[in-house]
Formats: sequence, C-alpha cells, structure tokens
Amino acid sequence: MSEIALPSHGSVLVSQVRYQLTLLMRNPRAIAAGLILPGALLALEKGNAQHITMTQAAPRIAGLVAFSAAAIALFTHTLGLVTAREEGVLRRWHASPLPAWAYFAGRILATMLVTAAAGLILVLVAMGMTGVHPTAHAVVGLLAADALGALALAAAGTAITALIPSVQSAQPILMLVYIPLVVLSGAFGGMASSLPHWLNTAVTYLPVQPVIDAGSRALLHGSGAIMSGHDLAVLIGWIAGGLLVSFWVFAWDPHRPAHARQAEARTTARSA
Amino acid sequence: MSAIIVKDLVKRYGRFTAVRDVSFEVAPGQVTALLGPNGAGKTTTIEILEGFLAPTAGTVQVLGVNPRSGGRAWRARIGLVLQATSLDAQLTVTEALMMFGTLYPKPRRIAEVLDLIDLAPDARTRIGALSGGQRRRVDLGLAIIGQPEMLFLDEPTTGLDPEARRRLWSVIENLTAAGTTVLLTTHYLDEAQHLASRVIVLADGHVAADATPDELRAAGGVPVISFRLPPGIPSMPSALAQHVANDTLTMPSGNVATDLAMLVGWARENDVDLTGLEVGPPSLEDAYLALTREGELSHV
Repeated sequence: MSEIALPSHGSVLVSQVRYQLTLLMRNPRAIAAGLILPGALLALEKGNAQHITMTQAAPRIAGLVAFSAAAIALFTHTLGLVTAREEGVLRRWHASPLPAWAYFAGRILATMLVTAAAGLILVLVAMGMTGVHPTAHAVVGLLAADALGALALAAAGTAITALIPSVQSAQPILMLVYIPLVVLSGAFGGMASSLPHWLNTAVTYLPVQPVIDAGSRALLHGSGAIMSGHDLAVLIGWIAGGLLVSFWVFAWDPHRPAHARQAEARTTARSA
Repeated sequence: MSAIIVKDLVKRYGRFTAVRDVSFEVAPGQVTALLGPNGAGKTTTIEILEGFLAPTAGTVQVLGVNPRSGGRAWRARIGLVLQATSLDAQLTVTEALMMFGTLYPKPRRIAEVLDLIDLAPDARTRIGALSGGQRRRVDLGLAIIGQPEMLFLDEPTTGLDPEARRRLWSVIENLTAAGTTVLLTTHYLDEAQHLASRVIVLADGHVAADATPDELRAAGGVPVISFRLPPGIPSMPSALAQHVANDTLTMPSGNVATDLAMLVGWARENDVDLTGLEVGPPSLEDAYLALTREGELSHV
C-alpha cells in the first residue's frame, strides 16, 4: 500500500465543527425551539411588570436558558442524529476516512457552541426587557453551566437514538422525554412545593435542574463556585454515562424493521 | 495484484444463506458489473466488500486489505455510491464537496469534480433543491472527491430518467478512462453492457456466470431471427408459424442460412416486405433471464 499522509485529527475536527455549525444554523427547528420560543416566553413572563429585581429574574432567566439548552442539545441534536441515520448520511460518514470520534466531537462541540450563543442572546434580551444587569463574570458563569448542561444532554440524546427506530417516531418519543424533563426541573418556575418528595429528589439527578441552579447562582452571586458538588457530579455522570452507552449501542446504519427483514428473507427463500 | 479478491464467501442471516461460496477476483482498472435479481446476494456481497458487513465464512480483500479491519488510510483509497442517496439537504453542492474533501490526503479540486459530475451551474444550489438525478451526481462527486483507486457503485442510476442515466454513465466513463477500478451493481442490463467489461451474475447467492457481456450473450443460446409481421400477411409454413407470437416471429436458429432462405422464399412468393428483419445473438437480457430463471450454476 502506498504511503499517504492523512489530514491531521485537529484539522478534521475543526472542519467537522464548522460543518455541524452550518447544519445547525440552517435548521429552523434549532432556531425556533432554542431561541425564539424561550425569548417569547421571557417576554410573556415579564408581562406588565415595570421593574424586576435580580432575585426574581435570575431563576426565570436561568430556567429559560436551560429550556433553550434542552431544545437544542437534547431535542434538536437527537432528532438530527436519527434523521441523519435513517437517511443514510451517517452511513456515508462511517464509510469515509473520518474517525468516528471526530464526528461525535464535532457534532457535540457545535451543539455546545450554539447552545451557549442562544443562552447569551437570551441573557441580552432579558437585560433589555427586565432592566437587570448581571456582571460579565455572572454571564460567563451562566454560559459555562449552560454549555456543560448541553454536553450532558447531547451525550444522553446520543444514547437515546438507539431506542428510536424511525424519524416518524423520534418526535413523540423525544417530546415524552423533553417536556416532562424541563417542566419538572423548574425551567418555567418552581414546582417543588406541588411535587411528591421522591419526584423532587429524582429531578435533582436529571441533567436540567443542575443547569438552572448553577445559572441562578451565577446571576445572583456573579463569581465563585457556581455549581454544587452534587450538581457537578450529576452532569459529569450524565456525560460519562451517555457517551459510554452510546459507544456500545449507537448505530450508524438505518434501522431495518423486523417485517422488512422478514420480507427480505422471504424473497431470498423464493428465489432459492 | 487483484483489486478485489473474494474467496469462498458465505453470508448467513439466521437460517437464511444470502451468499454461498462466492469467489471472484477483479483486476485493477477493470469495470465489473454485479447483476442479479432481488435477493440474489449482490447488495450483501458489495456491503461486505465495503466493510459494512462481516462475512460468515470465506475471505475478502479490497486493495489488499480486509475491509472489516480497513482503517482511515484504506477508506481514503475507496469511494462509495450507496444504494440510496445520502446527503445533507441543507448544504450547497460546493459545501458538501469541500467538507468531504478535507478528509482526504489528495482531494480533487472542487471545480474539477463539478465539471466531472456536470453540476458546475448548480454549485451554489442547496442539495435539497436538486432533482433526483442531480443528487445522484452529487453522491458520485462525494465518492470521487478523494481520487479513489476503487469505486463501488450500488445501483447508481436506479430511479433516474433515461437522460439522467445517460449523463451519469458518461461521468462514470470519464472516471474509468482514468484507470479507476469500479464494481457496479445494477438492475439495468443495458447499463452493464454499456459500462462494464465484465459481468458477474449472481442467482440465489451463487455466481451463475462470470464473463464479458458479449460472451454472456453468445452463451445465451443459438442466434435469433426476429421479424415484426405486417398486418394481413398470408399463411406461413408451419416451420415458421410455430415461432410467431404477438405478431412477431422470434425464431432461435441452429442454421441461420437455411432458416433465412426459407423466410426469404416465403416473403418473395407472397410479396412481403422484410424491412425490420433482424438476425443476431440473444440479447444480454435473454441470456441473463435464462441464467437466473433456470438456476444455471456453471461458469460461462
């Protein structure tokens, strides 16, 4: 075999991030669910109130930023992966000289960047609407928690693709995961008092509430440790668990339903 | 060294055997068509060669490498057009080509690929806005951007209109003229006849024939005299009449001169115009159908 120098892993990763960013920015679902909807909810929440204190605004802003993160990193990312798999796009990538890790790293890094950009826009919109003025440190802290949450959600979403057999079934399955997750985690306001104790406890182990808590803390305190050890451990657990499960169960090829496999077998048997 | 070596290949899905004891080699620079009806095992065979599937038994080498263990360097030497179009609709043609070009050590220039696939005027069009034939040419563009030594084309023209098929043929001809080894699966026999210098027919998971298109036609039986009969013709001798169906005489002929003399004599006596009379070997389609229907298992 002739010696050939393949492009470096770094250059391949950079071009993957650029490619995935292009796809995300041209995806109306990502823009609508990740930016326009949270922005509209922010405007509705503000309502006719003339002035909102930072103490009142922080959990609302952090909640909608987390909602945006879930829309982009869980819903859009997972649906996009299933669509790419079922349309054969993943199979083409898998057949190319692109290392598998670079595809996922590019896709997840792009998702984190878009999530952080959407979070920043939401904070700026909130500042304009509510009159609150968080420090630069506070905003950076919020966005760091947002990006870490996006990584956890994208890792979980990648693992979930193994349970989704088709593009048609992806939307309802993801809705069943995504809506309860953001609502119960308090993205639209605290529900703690109305939830059973066991459910309140369970929600703290899911990857959205730690983002809301850390975001609120960052906006209120501006600097220092914004994430509790428990919240950090939960997010790291989801990242590690999601990536590990994905490594074992992720499929590059389109899902073939059992009836299609049986029909193929019958064709083979008939021709015999 | 052969570009492809397949020896005693077997692939089973549960109790079904999709490919059984298939063996063949493909020389570098050769264009080989893999033909067969649905379920014959051609897609399974090509997917094993592409590295997507593991064989149950037997050995396979593509460019000297077992496809299942072929790494990035091996992948950079092959190009694939998959059975179904597989493209991101949101990208433009140029963006898709540029993206894939970054993966290869010596990619072709984008302008060169656009010329080869005849899509230069649509370079900035999003793939989602292209016709089926144009998307198939983008598929081919992505397959050739890395200047592959080996190209797998899995039913590249299925679903295309005749004009789009012809345009894709001409692209493939340009590539093969440059020495690229091509393995093509197709349902279209005219496509195999036009593009391939060798045809391997699979039937029921076996190699039913392995020959050039002309050899395959010649092996399909004796020459055939065919003639579309004009309306209101007079009665024919029974030796001719027994070969008439649907107003067409289709007569396998063991002795063309004798049979033609009989036909011409009858036509002269009855003042029948023989315009349209054809004599030739059975078509590739006839030969193929004979092989796949009769389960012929011997190599031609």
